[in-house]
Parts: sequence; C-alpha cells; structure tokens
Amino acid sequence: MNRRRRSLGGAALALALSVSPLFAADGAMPDTAKRIKVAMVPKLVGLSVFKANEQGAIAEAKDLNIDFLYTGPVTASAQGQVDVFNSLIARKFDVITTTSNNPTQLAPSLERAMKAGIKVVAYDSDVAPQARDFFIQNTSYPAFGKALVESVIKYAGPDAKIAILSSTPDATIQNEWIGAVKSYLAATYPKVQIVATEYGQSSPSQSLTAGLNILQAHPDVTGIIAPDGAAVVGAAAAIEKLGKTGKVFTTGASNPDAVRQYVKSGVIKETPLWDEVKEGRLVLYVARLAADGALKDNDTFTAPGLGTYEVKDKVIVFSEPLVFDASNIDQYKF
Amino acid sequence: MDMRAPAAADAATPRDGRRLPVGGWELALTALLVAVVAGFGAAAPGFYAGPASLLGLTENFLPFGLVALGLSLVILTGGIDLSVGAVASLSAVLAAQLWSRFGVDIWAASALGVAIGALLGLLNAAVILRLGIEPLIATLGTSFLYGSAAVAAAGAAPPSGFPASFTAVGTGTLGSLGPLAGLVPIQLALFAALAVLFSALVARSPFGRVLVMVGYSPDAARYSGIRTGRVLATAYAVSGAMASLAGLVLASYYDAVRPDMGDVLLLTAITMVVLGGISIFGGEGTVAGVVVSVLVLGFLRQGMLIAGFSDMVTTMLTGAILLASIAAKNLFNRRGTGLANQIWATIRRPEPPRANPN
Repeated sequence: MNRRRRSLGGAALALALSVSPLFAADGAMPDTAKRIKVAMVPKLVGLSVFKANEQGAIAEAKDLNIDFLYTGPVTASAQGQVDVFNSLIARKFDVITTTSNNPTQLAPSLERAMKAGIKVVAYDSDVAPQARDFFIQNTSYPAFGKALVESVIKYAGPDAKIAILSSTPDATIQNEWIGAVKSYLAATYPKVQIVATEYGQSSPSQSLTAGLNILQAHPDVTGIIAPDGAAVVGAAAAIEKLGKTGKVFTTGASNPDAVRQYVKSGVIKETPLWDEVKEGRLVLYVARLAADGALKDNDTFTAPGLGTYEVKDKVIVFSEPLVFDASNIDQYKF
Repeated sequence: MDMRAPAAADAATPRDGRRLPVGGWELALTALLVAVVAGFGAAAPGFYAGPASLLGLTENFLPFGLVALGLSLVILTGGIDLSVGAVASLSAVLAAQLWSRFGVDIWAASALGVAIGALLGLLNAAVILRLGIEPLIATLGTSFLYGSAAVAAAGAAPPSGFPASFTAVGTGTLGSLGPLAGLVPIQLALFAALAVLFSALVARSPFGRVLVMVGYSPDAARYSGIRTGRVLATAYAVSGAMASLAGLVLASYYDAVRPDMGDVLLLTAITMVVLGGISIFGGEGTVAGVVVSVLVLGFLRQGMLIAGFSDMVTTMLTGAILLASIAAKNLFNRRGTGLANQIWATIRRPEPPRANPN
C-alpha cells in the first residue's frame, strides 16, 4: 500500500488516502511497478504435477511483471534443492518458491536466503516454519482425508475392510492425510477396518508389489487408500492384474494423466487432488505480494481469477479437494 | 613418487612407459581449475562476490572431496568402495541418534561416528578378503546393508537441530582466529589439512608405496613379502572413516540427518577420483590430482548453477567431462588404451588379493 501511494501524484495521494479503507477491505494488493525475479523450485524437474504448477506460474508471471524461472534437481533430493537455492541466492533472486523434499534439510539454506533479503514461499510440501515467509497448503488435511475416504467407501461400503498404501513411513503430507483418514473413519464410518498399511517408496514398481502383497495377504480387502501418486497407480495396477476390477476400489492423490486409464476402466471410481495449474498461479501471486512486503502473517487478499484467500499464521489454504471421476477427468490435462 | 613401486612391480609384469610425464595431469587440471574459476568469475554475476563468498562456495561441495580422499586409497589398490554413501548416511544417523536419544555430547558422538565408519570399512575389507568376493560386488552388497540399517536407525523423525557449535563445521568460518581467517570456511580448512595428510601418506610414506604397489601388481606385491590383506583392510577402513566424516559434515551443513543423505556422494566422488588421475585399475595417480579435481568439479557445478544452467545440464556436463578427460588420458596411456585393453584389464584383475590366473 505504501509504495503504491508514493508512486502517485500529490492530488492522487489525497484520493488514495481517502479510498484506502476500501482497499484495506479487499486485503493485500500487489504493486507490479518493479520487475522482480521469482524462482520456482519443485522437488524434482520433469514430474507432471510440478509442470502443471509451472504452467500456471508462467501465465501469472506475465500479469505480475515477474521474471520467472523454473528450476530444480534431477532427482527428488533435498541436497539437490539446496544446490539450486544456493545458486539462486548468489543470483540475487527476489523470491524463492519451493515444495520441499525434506522439511529440515532445506532449512539452513532457506534461512540464509531470508537473511539475504529473499522472500521464501513454500507450497505443496512445507519446510520448517522458521525457514519460509508463507506456506500455501494444497488443501486442508481434514478435507482431503474426508475426500479420500468418501471416494472409496461410497463403493466399498460402510463396513469394508480397507488397506493403506503410502509412500514412505516419514512422508509428512502422507502421514497427515492418513491421520485425517483415520479420524474421519472413526467419526463417520466406525465399522470400516484398516487391515494393512504398506509403503511403496513412491516407486511405481514397488507400489505394485506392495499392492499385490495387500491383495494376496488380505483377500477380503475391498478398498485401498493410496495417498501418493505412485502408490495409487501401483494399487490400481495390482487390482487390475489380479482381475479384481469392480470388487476392489482404490483412490489416491495423483495427477489425472497418471490415473486416466484406471479411472476409465473403473478400478478408480473417484480420486481427489486439487487444480495444480491454478495453484501455480496462486504461488506466483503470493510471491509478488511477499516481495512487495504487502502481505501480513494474518491477512486476506483477493487474487483476480483465483478467489479470496485468508492468511492464517503465514499459512494459506489453496482450495477444497478437486475430485476426478470418469465424467470430468478429461477436462484436466496434467 | 610412486615410480619406485612400479620399478619393483615391473619384475613380474613387464609394463613400462605407461603414463604421462609426472605432474602433467595435475598441471592440466590446475589450468582447468584456473579457467573455470576465472571464466565463471567473469561471466556469471554472483559467482565472485568477494573472496569470502568464493571460498564459501566450497562449503557446497567439500563433503564430496572428503569422500574422494578416502576413496582414492581404495581405488589406488585397484579396488572400489561403493558403500561410501551408505556409510556416510549410517554413521551420521547413528551419531545423531546417540546425541538426540542418549544425550551423548555431539562431539563425542561424532568421534564415535567416524569410528563406526572405520569399522564398516573394515567389514567391507573382511567381506572382500575372507569371503573372496570382488570389491565391486562386496561393497555393493554392504551398501544395501548399511543403507537399510540407516533407514532403520533413522526412524520416522530423524534428528535435526544440532548445537550451533556443531553446525558451524558445515557453514562457519575460522573467524575466531583472526580477520583474514574469517574468509576461510571450517570445511575448507578441514579438507586442506586432510588433503595434505593424504598426499603425504600416499606420496611420501612407506604405506603409500606399498599401497600403490598392491594396486599396480598385487602378485608382485605379495611375492615381495608385503601383507596385501593388511594394506587393503587399512585402505577400506580409511575410506569408511572419511565417508563417515563427510556424512557428519553434511549433517552439520544441513543441520539434519536423513538415511539417504549420503546417496549423492558416491558417483560424484568416484568421478572426482578418476578425473583426478587415479587409474580405476589401481596403482597409479596422485592425491594432489584428486584434490584439484575436487575443486574443478565443485566450482564447475556451482558456477554452472549460478550461471543459470539447470541441474540437468550441469550433471550431464559432469559426465561428459569425465568421459572426455579419461579418453584424453588414455591416448597417452598404453595401459588403458582401447576398449579391448580395458575389457582385458577388467577380466584380468577382478580382485587384487587373489592369485593372478596368468
């Protein structure tokens, strides 16, 4: 706000002052006068969900007067991300946005960035809170837990025996989702039993093996909740391989491209995620606001074409889950 | 330097005129280093922002250099240690757990971590020598064992948030020793001291001579009355200790441990050793070459990233440089020239401690 006013003439200043309460009602506004450099550092390059973020970010960068760079490590390693951060610090970027491979390992490097005056916006997967200015959470954990449960129990029934197929035992988001799944089940479907929890290490082949293990060891399982991109593909492939399509249902957190065939064949009836392209746009919008110093730790703002968002203790929840099914999946290409 | 050892070895294996003039490779690498630093300094804004920031860049790659120093000894014997990454992870995780779960002082835990690394290296040597398994396979196997043990030891929430005095090793400078020392990162001082030590060990000590001799011709070494097993065990133990030291420096740098944190070390460290001029078949090369090659590859990667090249391009270029440099080196080296020779050499020297089928 301050910078905005200063850029206006004397007469306009009075006007601006007089209308500023109106602006304040709208919350934080970006000031696009100065061109800034913003980098987006995904967990690794070449994964389609992150490319979808990039696609949205590129669109938004044009409107916000941003030099945009999408760069990241070749493999999903925290060390690779730190290498990239270090180079961005040396190149004096204004904002670094990132989804972290590991919340603790990235912290020292991002704290160095913040000390150098760079704003840090985490999205998707958070870093340690002291190492970022803002965090954009995909969806709230309870909402996603509910969406995961509903998209399986609707078909497997309220007294089904289900299994969980996750990525790794220490994956932050997955564990939060599994926690939300469990508490939603306890509150809404107390008869549902979780009979097995396996891990596919985010690898499609290991997830397939884990999926086969579940189905062979527990023939009475009729639902697999697999809240990981590779896990849901592995679970779906395992169901198909054992000819259990229509008897066992799975759901997860995957981009539509990866599960399109399973949604069409009916192995997956519904699978929730969120609109990654739109999220990429929001990331850049928040980056702009952060660079302008226009966003407070607790605040509200309206991003044109995206909606109104609330900042609560530096955390912004992006959206409600977006559930893909056979009828809508072809509208989303990422 | 190591000329004396092959002179003895030549009695059993008639090979000579086998390498560049002494120091030629190291000189070429040094020229490359100067070109890399000067080139990026001139062309990539942000690469050179004062001497402190230039030296500070080394913090981002010296753990690789620590591994490369230890690995040099193993490769000089004609062996390989594929378990360095897993050793780094496992010993760092164990040290961190000792500190966080059992309240052991962080420095005592670190010392124990290095000792654990040496033990894991000895275990590698035992598998190679006692079970008669080739180093490549033996250390591949132990790398899975150590890696899985690291995952188990790390648990769901690996320790992080070490004391500031410990994290200073990874990111601090020698500032307390005077104004000029404030330019020198602690990591760099550590690496420099160890580089001098290793260089002296290989080039000037009796141990270095037998190490090179064992690598050049294990049979000749054994017939000369050298206890080759003991030499190999020492090399693997040192490699393990250096790997765990690198793991601890990484833990300090990241202020956290992860069971997979050492995984990135292996391939880059091997690249550094081989680009440094140490023959992958053993018996030739100098630690000085490895030290320069650590700096070349490290500054090259940092410079490329700062110049805005993606991690992908940077990694590809590293591979290309390795291939090009070794091809160039082989042109001057009868021992490794041509694919047939290399394959023959691989078949002929699968495991140093065993009898040569010829």
